[in-house]
Amino acid sequence: MEFLVASAIGLMVAAGIYLVLRLRTFPVILGISLLTYAVNVFLFASGRLVIGAPPVLRDDVTQYADPLPQALVLTAIVISFGMTAVVVMIGLGAFLGTDDDHVDDQSEATEPQGQA
Amino acid sequence: MIFEGLVEWVSVVARGFSYTLHNGAFTRYAMIGFVAILAAGYHAWATGTVGEATRELQTAGPVPIAGWAMLVVATCGLVMLHRNRFLALILIGIVGLMVSVGFVFLSAPDLAMTQFTVEVVTIILLLLALNFLPNTTPVESTPLRRIRDAGVAVVGGLAAFALAYHYMLRDAVTSPISEFHLAISYKGGGGTNVVNVILVDFRGFDTYGEIIVLGIAALLIYALTETLLRGPVRARLLNRIPDQAQAGDVHPMMMVVLTRVIMPLVLLVGFYIFLRGHNEPGGGFISGLVVSIAVVMQYMASGFSWASARLRYPYHGVIGAGVLIAGLTGIGSWFVTRPFLTSDFTYVRIPPFEEFELATAALFDLGVFLAVVGAVMLSLESFSRLARRAGSEDSKFAMDINPERDDPSAEAATTGTGGAP
Repeated sequence: MEFLVASAIGLMVAAGIYLVLRLRTFPVILGISLLTYAVNVFLFASGRLVIGAPPVLRDDVTQYADPLPQALVLTAIVISFGMTAVVVMIGLGAFLGTDDDHVDDQSEATEPQGQA
Repeated sequence: MIFEGLVEWVSVVARGFSYTLHNGAFTRYAMIGFVAILAAGYHAWATGTVGEATRELQTAGPVPIAGWAMLVVATCGLVMLHRNRFLALILIGIVGLMVSVGFVFLSAPDLAMTQFTVEVVTIILLLLALNFLPNTTPVESTPLRRIRDAGVAVVGGLAAFALAYHYMLRDAVTSPISEFHLAISYKGGGGTNVVNVILVDFRGFDTYGEIIVLGIAALLIYALTETLLRGPVRARLLNRIPDQAQAGDVHPMMMVVLTRVIMPLVLLVGFYIFLRGHNEPGGGFISGLVVSIAVVMQYMASGFSWASARLRYPYHGVIGAGVLIAGLTGIGSWFVTRPFLTSDFTYVRIPPFEEFELATAALFDLGVFLAVVGAVMLSLESFSRLARRAGSEDSKFAMDINPERDDPSAEAATTGTGGAP
């Protein structure tokens, strides 16, 4: 179980880094989203993995999952939506203003890329 | 002379250094950042010591392995096929879905509900953005560059894997504060869902800051949209020709009827999730997202003008009301000479009903709920306002074909603006 979660985190980080290093806004945004998933799962896993023991108090249960990382990650998920929306808006504004969705500054010589 | 020569030399060196690093290329900054983090991580790894593993590996059954496999396939596919942007969006949806399923499996129902609902609004948001962006990413980077990026990515992924795997097999160095939270949740916060009690009672100040950040993000998006629509982009949007064939039936009758029928149902679910939040999985964040999805469905099915004509309160106001309610709840504790955001609760019994709990935390959660609804709706609304400027006239009626409306001229008007079938 630990191996599955750790390898999923590693894979999402690798894919996220690769996509963040692409040249256009859209893959970069997808890469940031993947990194967000990875970081959220990573923080969540810092409570260690517990199966079938949600932190909802019951009279006859003594074993619970760690509630603190869950509370922190819950708000992180919602905030990451807000931040993704801001990044998407900035990327969209840049594209609509210049008809160019490169993330790097384009020198004058290479400006027209023949966008549809 | 010596001084000036020295200053000259230093500034040349500094210029050379900063212009090489700071050349306006985001990819270079990102690369510097990743490499620096990896180097720092390697240094910590090489100079630190690792304790013995104290936890047993838990065995994974076929179901978790299947979920893991789907996540792996979707992530790999995303990297391979990211040039087809719609496909990439579907694949990232699968990744998000598997993450939320994983949360359910690993005893985090609150997280799963949040992740799942956020997933829905994120995909809608990215679809709205993709409406304007090109649908494919051209091949630009050289193979050498791709190999270099892949190298950094693989090293980063392995590092993250190793770090996660190592600490999951070891217990915390000291006993974590979570045990205190579990022990005091019912006595101190009056709720049995410890995650929600932490959010609204124990760490209320934190949550209060977070809803403010969320509100600011939404207002920022609104401001950017306004600026875009005032500038030269407006003319460009008005002259834009859609790059894909438009659907003939913009607001299908089935979808309109269905979304209206389930609207009260979804609101009821949202209300239920809100009320049970303190004791069962749920709460302000999740119900806020559920209600936002209900409202977004109305926009999607019945059209922007139909939905906004029925909008009673502007979303900025909803965000403001949320932050105010949460803040005033916090201030309320000053009147009983307690610090800001101290929560209190009591149990009430109105005879025919069971005994139930009244908590100030519910009021605070109401603020969270309103702020989330306002923020999500304001961002999505801003995006659709861009789309609205971009051509297709809004149809006059919510449904393109409505049997109740047998006025042929009106019928012609709607089908005309909706595009040829």
